[in-house]
Amino acid sequence: MIGYYLSLAIRSLRSTPILSSLMVAAIAVGVGAAMTTLTLNYMMSRNALAEKDAVLYAVQLDSWSATQGVDNPSEMPWQVTYQDAVSLLRSDIPTHQVAMHLWGGPISVEGSEIRPFVAGARVTSRDFFALFGVDFIYGGTWSEEADSSPLQQIVLSEETNEKLFGGENSVGRSLNFNGALFTVVGVTEHWQPSPKVHDLNNGSFNNSAEVFLPFGLHRQFEIYPWGNNNGWKAEEINSYEDRLNSDVVWLQYWVQLDSPEQVEDYRDFLTAHIRGQKAQGRFPRPLKFGLTNPSEWLQLNEVVDGDDRMLSWLSLAFLLVCLVNAVALLLAKFLRKAPEAGVRRALGASRNAVFSQHLVESGCVGLAGGLVGILLTLGGLGLIRQLQMGYMDRVAAMDWTMMIAAIGLAVLSSLLAGLYPAWRISRTNPSVYLKTQ
Amino acid sequence: MLKMHNIRKSYRTDTIETHALRDFSLEVNEGEFVSVTGPSGSGKTTFLNIAGLLETPTGGQYLLDGEDVSSLNDNQRSRLRNEKIGFIFQGFNLIPDLNLFDNIDVPLRYRGFNAKERKKRIEKVLEQVGLSARARHLPAQLSGGQQQRVAIARALAGEPRFLLADEPTGNLDSLMARQVMELLEFINEWGTTIVMVTHDPDLARRAHRNIQVVDGQVSDLQRTAAPTAVEIA
Ligand SMILES: Nc1ncnc2c1ncn2[C@@H]1O[C@H](COP(=O)(O)OP(=O)(O)OP(=O)(O)O)[C@@H](O)[C@H]1O
Ligand SMILES: [Mg+2]
Repeated sequence: MIGYYLSLAIRSLRSTPILSSLMVAAIAVGVGAAMTTLTLNYMMSRNALAEKDAVLYAVQLDSWSATQGVDNPSEMPWQVTYQDAVSLLRSDIPTHQVAMHLWGGPISVEGSEIRPFVAGARVTSRDFFALFGVDFIYGGTWSEEADSSPLQQIVLSEETNEKLFGGENSVGRSLNFNGALFTVVGVTEHWQPSPKVHDLNNGSFNNSAEVFLPFGLHRQFEIYPWGNNNGWKAEEINSYEDRLNSDVVWLQYWVQLDSPEQVEDYRDFLTAHIRGQKAQGRFPRPLKFGLTNPSEWLQLNEVVDGDDRMLSWLSLAFLLVCLVNAVALLLAKFLRKAPEAGVRRALGASRNAVFSQHLVESGCVGLAGGLVGILLTLGGLGLIRQLQMGYMDRVAAMDWTMMIAAIGLAVLSSLLAGLYPAWRISRTNPSVYLKTQ
Repeated sequence: MLKMHNIRKSYRTDTIETHALRDFSLEVNEGEFVSVTGPSGSGKTTFLNIAGLLETPTGGQYLLDGEDVSSLNDNQRSRLRNEKIGFIFQGFNLIPDLNLFDNIDVPLRYRGFNAKERKKRIEKVLEQVGLSARARHLPAQLSGGQQQRVAIARALAGEPRFLLADEPTGNLDSLMARQVMELLEFINEWGTTIVMVTHDPDLARRAHRNIQVVDGQVSDLQRTAAPTAVEIA
């Protein structure tokens, strides 16, 4: 019977093209508005590290001032100091651990026609790739030694390797970075988590690093990070060494702990570390640290803020308004066709049959509305991409989940919208319409 | 075939209660052709709608083919209506968007016949009413008489045992009315029981039996003609 109802629905919708277009438009506009904001929200709150959600932890240490508050929901600094990072790196409890920060500098290849450009760099301990699941096309991470002593080794992203070496295996080749000669040890596959869960300090949706550098280079290059530096203490900093030993926080710290025992051990380790530091006069506040998995980390960092959420609710309210309009239009259309429903009842259609027939018609309106709604959503997202720079390219894009969600939303909406009109028409007494004329 | 006993039907609107039928009792036998006459508003259409299971009586007993239909739910009533009853209306009530073929298809769809069976039946009844060549025409492209013949074809396609006609010739001129009447008589000869409401005394007289409805009640039960006499017409 569904096939019959479908053919009737299409015939009926085609017989009133203007009214049908209005209904489709009402639903499409509502779905388009709702899906545009929902897609933005969804893409922004997506957890790019979801697969490792159970084993990865962002580490926070409460090394902050006894008197000053920390202005974020965790009430602890987001980042750690260099001296703490170095101490933590000595632990052998985590399966992998990463201390890192943003940096950058001019990059070029001797004798190449490629003009030098400034590359965004991530200075990190060597576990970065294993911990975040970044695969290599060529080579691999640097030696363990490079994390503590200055070895000029570099890992390139797929894109950078494409730019500098035309995508060839460049392992062993030399290049200039920040005025020094580096040897390529690895080339990673394209890796662009969005949002950038591993470093939400420096633009949640910014581009990922173009090159990766070992953690042992700080003193040699006197690296000042490109990312956030936060301090609370009036410290006298006269040399780079002073800076490394200061209470300024500027590094992100992640660990991979695969078992509950590891987590337990690591908690003990952090507790011991903080106690030790307290003994030396640091960590003036009550003992506190944070081990937060990626999904909670996203929430804590409020990647999707209150305004975004408000906008979602508003757009859903707008969809509701559109639906009310669609209900009114459907009701008008169905009631106008009531005599036909009366004839069908006389010829043996049950109330249920009349109800189903009209619900199918509503569903068709919804399906068409959903498809047009997706087009509107894509248009809306395109517009947003035009207005904003950079990261919106990745956020303002629909994936399959969202496309299916859009159609689902539209069909569900229009079935809901059609429910009452279809019910009304199926309950009307056919004899009323059969008598007239 | 049809047996009504003390059927009552009242309509309640905000202000008044109308008793469309009161203690309406009637028996129609298999194969009969009964005409129903009576003043406007006397309850003729109401009677047909109850007989055709389109409306439920407020009280009384109605047996269709010996089955008490008062306890049936909407699905069961619709099924019975679809299988046993054919409706013909004064206003033809063809569905304007559907061509003749698809109009006649409607009751067969609800019956659940397959495409082949439906096609066979549609072609057969279209031939019976002499409109085979026009299967793909829309109702608006036909004359009133032709439209009523399509409506009759649609009512017949499911091979109902019971045909209910509410002033089937009311909108037709006398020539077309006669043709439709002849068609109905022909159908009746082949065994279909017919109850026809009409305002035309000549047509009423051609039925086996005429009943008069006055004020929601059957006023007079009389045989106007023996079945054999009809065959001459
Ligand atoms: N749906 C309804 N609601 C209220 N009153 C109704 C309804 N249907 C019929 N009636 C009333 O019931 C009475 C009988 O109506 P019915 O249509 O059966 O008369 P009828 O004999 O068919 O008249 P006509 O010859 O004009 O067609 C009338 O008084 C009418 O006003
Ligand atoms: Mg009437």
